[in-house]
Amino acid sequence: MAGGRTGAGALGIAGFLPIGVSFLLAMIMLLPLGSGVAGYAMPHLVMISCFYWLSSRPLLMPYGACFLLGLFLDLWVGVPLGINVTMLLLTRLFVLSQLKHYRGKNRGVHWVVFTLMAFSLLALSWAIMSVVEGRMLPVNTVFFQWLVTSFFYAPVAFVLGRLRRLML
Amino acid sequence: MQTTGQSTRLRRAGRGRDAFWLYMSLALALLALEIFGPGFPRQLRGYANDAVAPVLTVFKGPISAVQSGMERFAGVSDIYLENQTLRDENGKLRQWREAAQRLIQENEQLRQILKVPQREVPPVATAHVIGFGGGAFERSVLINAGSGDNVAPNLPVVDELGLVGRTIEVGYWTTRVLLITDLNSRVPVRLERTSDVAIAVGLNEPYMHLRFLAANGDVQVGDRIITSGHGGLFPPGVPVGQIISTDDDVISVRPLSALDALDFVRVMDYQPLPPDVKQPTAEADATGRPQ
Repeated sequence: MAGGRTGAGALGIAGFLPIGVSFLLAMIMLLPLGSGVAGYAMPHLVMISCFYWLSSRPLLMPYGACFLLGLFLDLWVGVPLGINVTMLLLTRLFVLSQLKHYRGKNRGVHWVVFTLMAFSLLALSWAIMSVVEGRMLPVNTVFFQWLVTSFFYAPVAFVLGRLRRLML
Repeated sequence: MQTTGQSTRLRRAGRGRDAFWLYMSLALALLALEIFGPGFPRQLRGYANDAVAPVLTVFKGPISAVQSGMERFAGVSDIYLENQTLRDENGKLRQWREAAQRLIQENEQLRQILKVPQREVPPVATAHVIGFGGGAFERSVLINAGSGDNVAPNLPVVDELGLVGRTIEVGYWTTRVLLITDLNSRVPVRLERTSDVAIAVGLNEPYMHLRFLAANGDVQVGDRIITSGHGGLFPPGVPVGQIISTDDDVISVRPLSALDALDFVRVMDYQPLPPDVKQPTAEADATGRPQ
């Protein structure tokens, strides 16, 4: 059997760490952190988590997991179903097709790649939302969320990296 | 061996593409369901919120403790000044309380003389805010009261300062409240000083805009706006906001409710018509109580 089991199951419970951590971050995105700014300036922690795990251990974050994460995030956050699903599926498609260009590069390169990807995906989500709403939505809140998400990539990826070294 | 490795990789890549398109089709189907569907996603959200509520409630405890600790720490340096200000305010409030009590009594007597129906709106539930939602696109909060507490969709929600929003997705234990600052929020209001009517429109920003005000409407910075009661969704007279600017025909309103730091909110049991005006149903006849 060439390769044997290569997914999350091959590592036992630890193999589900990326999915579990991503679900936890999805719940953290809902928490009332004491400021109204947090409502729309909350970084997209699930996108950061998916990008990080797909860049380091892509087999532990399959399309099915991205779909379920996106679905629950849509349900919990209260946005139309399919928005976050689409964003996370495209995150996986992007990372798997571009990983060969930035694998092994330093963290700064990963940060830049994430920032560019997040910009495209949030712009896409804005376009989809505008179609669903039937009008052009204001761009400033989306732009602000992109800035905050990009800024938070480094600290969140650092924590996820420590967790990966500890458990995988 | 190399050929086998290459073919394995190609097979995996092919399977990956198939999986991508399968899940992408499902995502598009969900979007279509959201746009054209008959409210099914809304009900599903109610149940999903119920499922995550225990986790959010557990997280909420330590977060509240840390926040109150930080606020206490930050407030220590200003405590003397704050104490002085509070003493002054307390003196003024005592005078206001006496005046208010006199007015309440007088108002009650006049209402009884004129047979005006009561305008007091009882609360259906008092709830804790356990989550924020909406991300960059919507402004909503999750509260820990649902249909089990007799909460229904489209009920007004207030805090101690003013209008917060209205209930939209109701689960058994939780309810999502659409805030008045959400892009889809439209609140019929009137200026407290002049009684001119208008609509307070949410923008997904911390403030709102006042629209559809009469061309000769007299608006000044600092004016308070309250609900007008038009449309039947919100009771009249609930404080909504305060005018903060009137630049270039754009009138900006700051909400009075503490949307930045919501903790406890009250869901109001508001019905546009008093119960005794409604037509009695068969059940109401049987029980002797109007529905």
